[in-house]
Amino acid sequence: MWIQKSLLMLLGISSGFTAAGGLFGFIVELGVIADFADRTHTGEKIKFYEDCIAAGGITGTILSLFPITFHFGTGVLTILGLASGIFVGCWAMALAEILNVYPIFSRRLKVVKYVGFVIVSIALGKGIGALLILFYQW
Amino acid sequence: MSVEHDTVYIKGERNVAVQNHTVTLGDILEIECSNKAIASKLKTQKLMRISGKPQTKVVVSILKVIHGIHEMYPKVEVQNLGETDLIVTYEGQTESKTMLYAFKIILVSIITFVGAAFSIMAFHNDISINKLFGHIYTLLTGKTSPGFTILEISYSIGLTIGILVFFNHFGKKNSSKDPTPMEVQMRLYEDDIQTTIVENASRKGREANVDTKESTNASWY
Repeated sequence: MWIQKSLLMLLGISSGFTAAGGLFGFIVELGVIADFADRTHTGEKIKFYEDCIAAGGITGTILSLFPITFHFGTGVLTILGLASGIFVGCWAMALAEILNVYPIFSRRLKVVKYVGFVIVSIALGKGIGALLILFYQW
Repeated sequence: MSVEHDTVYIKGERNVAVQNHTVTLGDILEIECSNKAIASKLKTQKLMRISGKPQTKVVVSILKVIHGIHEMYPKVEVQNLGETDLIVTYEGQTESKTMLYAFKIILVSIITFVGAAFSIMAFHNDISINKLFGHIYTLLTGKTSPGFTILEISYSIGLTIGILVFFNHFGKKNSSKDPTPMEVQMRLYEDDIQTTIVENASRKGREANVDTKESTNASWY
């Protein structure tokens, strides 16, 4: 019995450890938070933002594994939705940026001047796509 | 002991912030010369005047600076030990770090906190972690998982340790003096931005070279 317990524990700890390394390495290397800090000119608070990611990761894990219920109103939901939306939006674009999608396309298609329109179109497309999926619950 | 044959060493950082509209050589460069008179004279020499709002950036080629020095002392030798292109940012009087600054920090911390929580939950949802842990539990114990087992608890502990180790926060005080991954990433990001600014400026011909007298936001002395 105890050997099963300790096996499970070993498995849990090592899989958690690895998952943390993978996901948070991904978040950091994509440079989303460095981007936030630079845009808002709050680069000196980067350590604090690190703490926020760590705290967020731990909270998210606990919430998705254990049955915890809150009784928040629409206001909190709006803030949470907006914040996670901004984060995922930046993440998706950072991913595309890292994979060099735009430089390659703009070179191939020779679109250099109207990059602004392209960016707005991407943002609108992603927003409408997300809305469709969530509205129709596909 | 002629003044003219001295060597002036200059060294500049790639990114310099200035507080005043009028920029002197000493504002953007470190200057060393065996002849102290030349060094102190050069430090107070006005280079340009940046017009426009705070956060205006002007890219200065070091050749422009050397040209200026040679106009004052035609025969001194100038040795550049620093960058070849300097980004000079007019910051204005140091902005009051008050309400807006605090608001920005709160905003970013909410986004990073909620975003990190959301991404790890999305990841768990993606791999159906509860189902997966159920399978593993059955595999190892032969019983059906009640859903709240040692596996979930130890996974959470492992993940917490993993995050803290990754961000170098374990024993924050003295165990490691290395910069954290975020600080490294921040530095890389700034380097990329600066390289882009310099290259954009020279591509558009807005860099302040010796030949170009006109620059959009700067007038020269």
